[in-house]
Amino acid sequence: MLNALAAMGRFGAFSGAIARRMMRRPLFFGQVIEQTWHTTTRCLLPVVAVTFPFGMVMALQGLEIFRIFGAERMLASLISIATLRELSPVLASVLVAAQGGSSCAASLGAMRIKEELDATEVMAIDSIKFHVVPRVIAMTVACPLLNVAGSVAGVAGGYFTAVFIKGESGGIFMAELWSFMEPVDLYGGFVKTTLFGLMIGLISCYHGYRARGGAAGVGKAVNDTVVHSVVAFITLNYFLTSFLFGAVAP
Amino acid sequence: MMSLFAGLGRYGLWCKEFFRAVWVHGPPKGQTLHEAFRIGIQSLPILLIISAFVGTNLALQGYNAFKPLGGQRLVGMFVSLAGVRELAPIIAAAMIAAKAGTEMASQIGVMKIREQVDALEVMAVNPLAYLVAPRLIGILLMLPALTLIAIFVMLTAAYGVSVVQLGLAGHEFIQFASESIEPIDFLYGAVKAVFFGLIICTVSCYFGFHCGKGPEGVGAATNKAVVTSSVICILLNYFISELLYGGSL
Amino acid sequence: MIELKNVSKSFGDTTILRDISLKIPAKQTTAIIGPSGTGKSVTLKHIVGLLRPDEGQVMCFGTDMATASEAELYAVRRRFGMLFQDGALFDSFTVGENVSFPLVHHAPSMSEGERRARVEEKLALVGLPGIYDRPTSGLSGGQRKRVGLARAIVMEPEVILFDEPNSGLDPITSDAIDALIQEMKEALGITFIIISHDIVGTVNVADHIAMLYGGNLVAFEPTDRFVRLDNDIVRKFLRRNLVLPQGPDEVARLPGLE
Repeated sequence: MLNALAAMGRFGAFSGAIARRMMRRPLFFGQVIEQTWHTTTRCLLPVVAVTFPFGMVMALQGLEIFRIFGAERMLASLISIATLRELSPVLASVLVAAQGGSSCAASLGAMRIKEELDATEVMAIDSIKFHVVPRVIAMTVACPLLNVAGSVAGVAGGYFTAVFIKGESGGIFMAELWSFMEPVDLYGGFVKTTLFGLMIGLISCYHGYRARGGAAGVGKAVNDTVVHSVVAFITLNYFLTSFLFGAVAP
Repeated sequence: MMSLFAGLGRYGLWCKEFFRAVWVHGPPKGQTLHEAFRIGIQSLPILLIISAFVGTNLALQGYNAFKPLGGQRLVGMFVSLAGVRELAPIIAAAMIAAKAGTEMASQIGVMKIREQVDALEVMAVNPLAYLVAPRLIGILLMLPALTLIAIFVMLTAAYGVSVVQLGLAGHEFIQFASESIEPIDFLYGAVKAVFFGLIICTVSCYFGFHCGKGPEGVGAATNKAVVTSSVICILLNYFISELLYGGSL
Repeated sequence: MIELKNVSKSFGDTTILRDISLKIPAKQTTAIIGPSGTGKSVTLKHIVGLLRPDEGQVMCFGTDMATASEAELYAVRRRFGMLFQDGALFDSFTVGENVSFPLVHHAPSMSEGERRARVEEKLALVGLPGIYDRPTSGLSGGQRKRVGLARAIVMEPEVILFDEPNSGLDPITSDAIDALIQEMKEALGITFIIISHDIVGTVNVADHIAMLYGGNLVAFEPTDRFVRLDNDIVRKFLRRNLVLPQGPDEVARLPGLE
């Protein structure tokens, strides 16, 4: 227990160090662009590959229930709201943690083990500024972008199942999509994923940067990154949902 | 695209070889239960936290969704249907992939790069039977149990939020929830868990065995293990749900 | 007893072994030497069946390792012991558990006490008495090699293979390992196959030397004839004048192979 607190303290210090460096020039823009592009492209397929089937399953289960009440029309709005508010932000972030976060931890970890980070410092270049900050920014930017893709894919999956497999009307589906949507549905996901992306970036770089113990240490860094990131943002998700979607007893 | 099929093909061949090896040699004695407990105990804390917070959000969003229709009392039904049928198995699977799966990939990967897998072969001990079989049995024993725990924790957390934060009536929640779940749903959840466990273990160990050199190789193997197993599980989930639930009501 | 017949092996576009034919004399020490990347480790792996050749046969105790089934492979391997470069010990086991591993799997009739006695005997033989219960993680490089060797001999095999026993060691420890191999040779009198790039140690301990260069078997002679051989490549290697290639691609472009 004490260990966990000490670790969180170290993590806080590390994050502070990152924040300080983000304020001062020079900011290695080339690295930032490269990392952001890298992360986004690598995570795109996994994110879509999970949100699309989840949309499909939602349509499947949703229709099973709604058909009992004759309320099939409601399916589209259920899918759009559920996807935008919860499913896409969470799923996209899980995959960003699993793909982006773990490859970030893996590459930093390998650099640490092979002493490349030390070599950077010896060349009088701040290793945090050069290697870490760009990755953190990349993940903070990529996550919301990927959430957009995930949201679209999730709704598309729902549409696909409802219309092509279960024979619902495509026109009604598209019309009903927007019925219960509010502005907060659109920006809520954005807020969530930006914060989640930031957390994933900080956690993955923390574990990668501090990797120890050879190749096994890199494996452990990846393991810890995925687990801690997901726990962290799922917990945060609860508070954000309460706050954004204002579900407090009337 | 082609490389995706080629990769799937190689994975398929590896699995075939694995099952053959286990058939011929059997798992090593004495290690299996130990492994199972280790996997279960280690994953438990994270599973509890994540199931709880997914349950809370299900309650919150369900409330928001049904309130405009005057159906907020149906939260219990919504949470139990979505949670039991779909979310709990996926959450448990995702956690095992993240914790146990990455561990398997990295442990086996490290052994591979340090020639310990070759050493096993040269000592006439089949590495697939010796290293993978105990892990597979461990996961298959644990994942259904963890899925059931996830269901329970999720429903409890949703209940908590409904009553304390949303001011709904507790007994109504329980009533609607229990009406919506049937015993067979738990069986289906366990079935999903078995398939997910198979996927996670074989995929993670596959990447461990095919690990590239050095620490980067181990990192890459661990990375691929968690992403590939998660994506395959979620894709598979649709087909299993379709099979089990599609048109069954 | 162990013979390679016309073995060829390529990885992708690079040919590592070209039509190698080599007969390992029984109960003697044979060294396979050559610059890095010329296929020495690959040859060793063919002998134990970790790799299968593209062409040719690898005969061990009458079984062709190139086409053997798993059961046949395992039967042959039980008669081998192998020392890997870093020892390839299992980190989660103690020294004793590592060395007794083959016994646990292949001699289940032995009691725990008998196994321990055998392991301690072998550990003493390699110069490490009394470390049965030590965890593996704290061992030095030289100690790992000795423990690895103890594990290789615990089943009392007919053949021991050494994959670069001197690699990664400082000169003093390297000499100590050479001395150990010499002692083992005299004590056990079985077939040794040693892969090495350390010329001095090799010449001292080997009865026969085979040299691989550019994927070809350039020479295979008893040691005293080898060191006096009138072969350009051999002489350059012995005098350490040979330009060492960096890897398989450079090997393909080595001079003096027409």
